[in-house]
Amino acid sequence: MSSAHAKTPKTPTAPARKPSGFPLGWYRYRNYTIFAATCIPMAIAAVELLLGVAALGKGEEAWTAWLATLSAPGLRALNAICLYFAIYFAFRFGWVGRKIAAGRIGPISKPPLPLSILGIAPLGGFVTLWLIVFVILGGFI
Amino acid sequence: MAEPKLLKFEVLRFRPETDKEPVFESYEVPCMEDWVVLDALNAIKDDIDPTLSHRWSCRMGVCGSCGMLVNGRPILTCAAFVRNYTGTIRVEPLSNFPIVRDLVVDLESFIEKIKSVKPWIIRKLEKDVAEGEYRQSPEQLEEFKQFSMCINCALCYAACPVLASEPEFLGPAAIALAHRYNLDSRDEGNAERFETLNDGDGLWGCSYANECSQVCPKHVDPAMAIQQAKLTDALQWLHVLPKKSFA
Repeated sequence: MSSAHAKTPKTPTAPARKPSGFPLGWYRYRNYTIFAATCIPMAIAAVELLLGVAALGKGEEAWTAWLATLSAPGLRALNAICLYFAIYFAFRFGWVGRKIAAGRIGPISKPPLPLSILGIAPLGGFVTLWLIVFVILGGFI
Repeated sequence: MAEPKLLKFEVLRFRPETDKEPVFESYEVPCMEDWVVLDALNAIKDDIDPTLSHRWSCRMGVCGSCGMLVNGRPILTCAAFVRNYTGTIRVEPLSNFPIVRDLVVDLESFIEKIKSVKPWIIRKLEKDVAEGEYRQSPEQLEEFKQFSMCINCALCYAACPVLASEPEFLGPAAIALAHRYNLDSRDEGNAERFETLNDGDGLWGCSYANECSQVCPKHVDPAMAIQQAKLTDALQWLHVLPKKSFA
């Protein structure tokens, strides 16, 4: 390539357009956006749990106070949202798990059930953990 | 012989010398029942408005040139039969790419991303020609054949919501192609490719919307390639799998 050619100004272009129906206008993109948004309540929940661990380290009084805080209606609502997202995330992750199956030629087909279960199983543990936090520590029992 | 049917098309136009932004223009095109959207675009260019610009070549789903959005979904226009659409058919250039003119998009970033994953066989030492070819069993071919079907039509990039938010993301076709070569029994470039794949904008940016696989006209299933590559990467990082490399 000659240097003169290399200096040719780039053709003016119109900016790239977003995919039609992104992020919330089309159901499949909407599902994806909800999935991506799960990180927000998850991050809040992680901070909440860390504060619980810190309270545990500080002694019984701090721990009791943290449990009392968890019983507040606002935090219960937040934890309910977190639980919903945890389940949603777990099932979607399990669905992804199917995709690590061996390659094959042809149109997309449903992967074998054992693979789906294998994908969902580890995340079932995560959901169970969150249920414990939500139900026991949240003051429901 | 059947009579042509008058169908209404809305085509996104962008003429950089006059237009500040893309605008839709309407055309009424007499279409035969067996026509595809590409036939209608060619009819517009030949008989109605010769200034319309669009890419096409083979007309049989092989070259990957004629990818556009038809009624909002990325598709090869040579495979989009007009009889499958009702009402006005809206044709737009591929999303997630800058528009050069009308239905022609700038694919430079796409080509650069494909190039960055080194989509060729990398070997430490090339065999002498006299030693013969590199043999491969049908089973070894089966490992990667599906991922070698890609025609670089970029439909997967137009559908990807991650690219819509993060334009620097490496993208489905490039990762699938890297995975194709990583699976090739003749290749030794796994570690080199994972350097690119593990970049901040690489493999792990995919959050599995699966739209790439939904629109792929060749059933490459790039989403599967990406998830498999993630697993391989993780297992190599844990030293469960050896790195296939001379590095």
